[in-house]
Amino acid sequence: MRVLVRPAQYVALFGYILFLGFPLLWLISASVKSSAELNSLTVSLLPGQWQWENYAQALARQGLVHSAWNSVVVALASTALVILIAMPAAYVLARLKGAIRVAGVGWILVSQVFPVILIILPLFLILRTMNLTDSLVGLTLVHTTYTLPFALWMLQGYVAGIPTELEEAGSMDGASRLSVLRRIVFPLLAPGIVATAMFSFVSSWNEFFFALVLLQSPENYTLPITLTSFIGGEGKVALGPLAAGSFLAAIPSIVFFSIMQRKLTGGLMAGAVKG
Amino acid sequence: MKTRGVSTAACLTVTALLLASCSGGGGDDGGDGPVTLKFQSLSDQPAAIAATEKIVGEWNDAHPDVQVEIVPTGWDGVYDKLITQFNGGAAPDIIHYEAASIVPFARDGYLADLSEYMSDERRADIPEGVLESVTVDDQVIAYPTELQSYMVFANKKLLQDAGVEVPTGDTMTWDQLRDIAKATTKGKTYGLGWGLASPTAAFMSLAPGFGGEYFSGTGQDAQITIGDGEMALPELVDEMAYEDKSILPVTLTQSGSEAIASFYAGQTAMTVQGSYQAANIAKDAPKDLDWVALPPLAGPKGAGQAANPQTLSVNVDSEHVEESAEFIEFFTETENLAALNEADALIPATTSAQELLADQLGDENGWSTILAGGQNFVSAPYLFVDAYAQWKDTVATPAYQRFLAKETDAAVLQSQLTDGWDEITQ
Repeated sequence: MRVLVRPAQYVALFGYILFLGFPLLWLISASVKSSAELNSLTVSLLPGQWQWENYAQALARQGLVHSAWNSVVVALASTALVILIAMPAAYVLARLKGAIRVAGVGWILVSQVFPVILIILPLFLILRTMNLTDSLVGLTLVHTTYTLPFALWMLQGYVAGIPTELEEAGSMDGASRLSVLRRIVFPLLAPGIVATAMFSFVSSWNEFFFALVLLQSPENYTLPITLTSFIGGEGKVALGPLAAGSFLAAIPSIVFFSIMQRKLTGGLMAGAVKG
Repeated sequence: MKTRGVSTAACLTVTALLLASCSGGGGDDGGDGPVTLKFQSLSDQPAAIAATEKIVGEWNDAHPDVQVEIVPTGWDGVYDKLITQFNGGAAPDIIHYEAASIVPFARDGYLADLSEYMSDERRADIPEGVLESVTVDDQVIAYPTELQSYMVFANKKLLQDAGVEVPTGDTMTWDQLRDIAKATTKGKTYGLGWGLASPTAAFMSLAPGFGGEYFSGTGQDAQITIGDGEMALPELVDEMAYEDKSILPVTLTQSGSEAIASFYAGQTAMTVQGSYQAANIAKDAPKDLDWVALPPLAGPKGAGQAANPQTLSVNVDSEHVEESAEFIEFFTETENLAALNEADALIPATTSAQELLADQLGDENGWSTILAGGQNFVSAPYLFVDAYAQWKDTVATPAYQRFLAKETDAAVLQSQLTDGWDEITQ
């Protein structure tokens, strides 16, 4: 019986990976199929005829590469801002006791319930007075603001998991408050920061509505906006080029994840505190 | 050390972004320079984008003092974008959209009255029903450019094998369609495939052929009527699907694009599609599929279909309404509209462009039949009804879906459509 456990685990793992990866496989498959094949009743993962032209069409379409660069810039900048703001704020939220903490946490939760459509017009007007509507800086600030509450919520959970005894031990050894934060808390917070950064990056990378409404000039368009140009009126969709463009669009995200996931390791504090 | 590197990179990115932003912007016209008109275009097909760029290029060459800048935008979410742009005072000068969606903007006073700018020549060239679709409170609020109609594509071989003569002539009746569908339904082959996952648009568009109007009055005063004319087509589809069993059932739950796969595979002898699909069929259909576009469908009240054209309108707050209207007048010249519609596989909104296209393309890929439907467009009362979009999404589409799935009968459908309207307009 025990001999069967390990193979069964691998089979389950393979099934899980297949389940998670199948949409991506299908996307890749669609990206190399002709429109005739995509509109046929015969379903196959492997294309009958490889249609690389979809990639050429996607790349030629209205500055896809430039839009990808804009998305990279906005996603990295908003991620950096979110982490810079959320780190100290999360520490305060996690360690502070009393009414301010309750009010802070309450505000975070309340801020999540406003529908986007409700805030877009006031937001647009505010940004317009600051000349930030058709601007990547404006979009970065919006993405930061929009992501920050949940990032803060995530990160304060990680801070709460760091035993206060470690900070007390640092203080007893003569470290200042700032030094304790810099040398003890923030390094131990690394997995939480990575997880939060990944969340922020993906939120910004995929965000469509704010970018659609705020950005007016094609040179400022981010990837989701450019990708929708493959979906036309009257139900027309250029499915092959759209799939090719979507796959190309996913690559930076995959690279970012593969770099960051190595840092996403738990158990750093195992054995740090006795008992 | 690594952490410090990442932090430095992040800070540099933010700084670079800020600097880049500071150096950009300021796209407004200078005091004495040429006027620049922003033209928010929804053209999505590569050929249509090229045609639009060519027209704009020709205008810019001929008008150095009034330059047009294309702002490409996708169809997805454009309504919300425009609402925000109008409310925020940041809408483009020239707006490409569709009649059904711009009427509310016109009622709210966001679109300029183009009546005085539209030339007599253009006004006479636009079929009456199409012009009415862009006329709100006696004001022309847009120039119509492109239209689509619903039409039937048939597999000639399957029709001939069933001993059916392929219909010709100016129109084809719904009874003929039903008879052909019955005759060609054999074994695993069904007579008709019709993608009716979102049936409201098709039923509304084709209702004029049965005398169906759905709405009377305009704006908030509109009243709904669901009578024989409005119920005729849903009931016909129901009878074909469940009595004749001549409609492939799965297609009733599919979009038009999905239903076309059954046509390619020979599972259906005919399919009802938007006219633009002719270009896709020509491109994607199997080489051995001998297909034909059948004449426009006509009901007891004629071959009329509700017109919901794509349009070009002008932002009322634009500083250059007159120049924008002049550009649209140029954009809708016969040769330009013909080129644009050929690229988009749609029907030009002017008679002269329809005729030019018919001359240029002849019978190729069903174009002559498609263009023959261009004179059948009639005004669509639903365009001028304030609560139409809400009624369509929350009442009509679910009610039609339940009816086509045989979950409700005609009497229930009729009362759901009427009661639902009363609820949302109370």
